[in-house]
Amino acid sequence: MSNLDHGKFTRVTTLFHSLLGLDVFLLFFTGYAIMFNDELWWLLAVMGGASGVTAIHRITGIGLIALIVFWIVLQIISPTGRGNFSEILPGKDDFDAFVQDVQFMLGRADERHPNARQFAGYKADEVPLLSYIGKGVVFIFSIELTLLAISGLLIWSKTGLAAMFQTKAAAMAFVTFHGLLGVIMLMGVMFHVFEHGFHPAFYPVETKAFIPRSMVPEYHSDEDEEPDTTGIERLSLSPSWRTMSSIFGALTVIGIVSVLIGSIFDEGYPVPRELAIGGGPTSILLTIGINVGILVLGVGLVLSMYGNVLRIRWERQMEEEREGPAATDGGREEPSDD
Amino acid sequence: MSGRQETPEVSGYARSHVAISAVVGILVAGLSVWWAQGFDIFYESLYRVSPTVEGGGIGADWVFGNTIPSLDFLIALVHAADVLMGAFILVMVFLHWAAFRRLADRMRQPGEERGEAVAADGGEQR
Repeated sequence: MSNLDHGKFTRVTTLFHSLLGLDVFLLFFTGYAIMFNDELWWLLAVMGGASGVTAIHRITGIGLIALIVFWIVLQIISPTGRGNFSEILPGKDDFDAFVQDVQFMLGRADERHPNARQFAGYKADEVPLLSYIGKGVVFIFSIELTLLAISGLLIWSKTGLAAMFQTKAAAMAFVTFHGLLGVIMLMGVMFHVFEHGFHPAFYPVETKAFIPRSMVPEYHSDEDEEPDTTGIERLSLSPSWRTMSSIFGALTVIGIVSVLIGSIFDEGYPVPRELAIGGGPTSILLTIGINVGILVLGVGLVLSMYGNVLRIRWERQMEEEREGPAATDGGREEPSDD
Repeated sequence: MSGRQETPEVSGYARSHVAISAVVGILVAGLSVWWAQGFDIFYESLYRVSPTVEGGGIGADWVFGNTIPSLDFLIALVHAADVLMGAFILVMVFLHWAAFRRLADRMRQPGEERGEAVAADGGEQR
C-alpha cells in the first residue's frame, strides 16, 4: 500500500520543479556565500573564491530567468496552465485549513482539513490540487523570484546603476536589497524541505513532486462505502522517523533563526564608515547557525536528487511490469494483483 | 474755442484694480530682488576649490549616494518583511512538526503487529 496517494504533478512539472530547485539551491549557495562570507568562508573557497562564486551566481541567474519565463509562457499558452489558474487562488477554505491545522496541533481537531492534507490516502478525491501551504509557496515564491530577478538584473552591471543614480554608493543599496529579499525565500525553502521530507507517511521524501501523475495508479474505493479515515493507520512508521524528524526539525528552526538574525546585522547600506570585518557581529553561535541553515538546504538538494532516483526506479519497475507478460519465453508468469 | 472745455469720454480704471495691480507690482519687484539676492556670493569664494564634502568636493557624491532616504526606506522595508515572514515561517515549521508527530502516532509503530486491524476495516489482505 505504498501508492495510496494520487500524484499531483505532470511530467513537465516534475522536471521543472527539479530544475528550478537545483538552480535556486545553486543561487542560494553562491549568493549567501557572498552575503555571509565570514560565516561561510569555506563555501566561498569551495566554489572558486570571489570570482568563481559570482560567475556561478550569474550563470544560474540567467538559468532562473529562463525557467521563470518558460513557466509563465507555458501557463498562459497551455489549456492546462490556464485551467489550473483558478485552482491556485487562495480562498476561505485555505484560511479554514490553517485554523484547523492550529486546532489539530492543539489536539482539538481529529483530522487535518482537506486543503492542508499532504497525505490524502482514501480521501484523495477531497483534496484540492494545492494545499494552503502549496498556494502560499506559489504566490510568495512567484513574487520573490520576480523581484529577485529584477533586482539581480539591475545590479548585473553596477556601473550602469551608478550612472543612473549619479553616485557609486546607491549601487550598494541594490545589492543589499537583493540579498535581504532572498532571505525570505531562503527561510521558506528550509521549511519546504522539512515539510516535504519529514511527513511521517512520506519520509524521507514526498514522491508526489518527482513521480508524475501519469505514472501513479489511482486508488478508488468501492462506490457504496465511503472510508472514514485517510488510511494512514495502515502504514508503518519508519523506525528512524522519530529521531531524524526531531534532529531535522531542530536544525530547520536553528537555520531559519540564524539566517534571520544574520540578515538583520549584516548591513550593506548605508555603507558603514568603519570597516567592519564581515559587516556584522562575528559570533561563533551565529557562524554555526548559518552553517546549519546551509546544511538544511544541502539535505534538501540531496532529497531532490533522491526523489529523481526514486522516479527512475519507479519507471523501471513500471516498464518491467508492462513487459512482463510479453517477454514470456515459456517461463513462469507472475500472477498479477489486479 | 469756446470757453467750456470738454473732456473726452474715457472709461477709467476702477480704484480696486489699480490697487491690486500696485500691490502685485510691488510684491513681484520685492520677490525678484529677494530671489536675486541668492546670487550674491562673496567674490572671494568664486572659482575656489572646496575639497570638503560640504563644499561639494571629492567624496561628496559618495556621501550623497549613501544617504538617499528612499533607498534607506526600501531596505528597512525588506528588513521588516524578513522578520515578519521569518516569524510566520517558524510558526509554520512548528505547526507542521506538531501535526507530523500526531500523524506519526496514528501510524503502525515500527515492529508493531496489528494484523487484525488490517482485516477489520475491510481491506483485502495480501
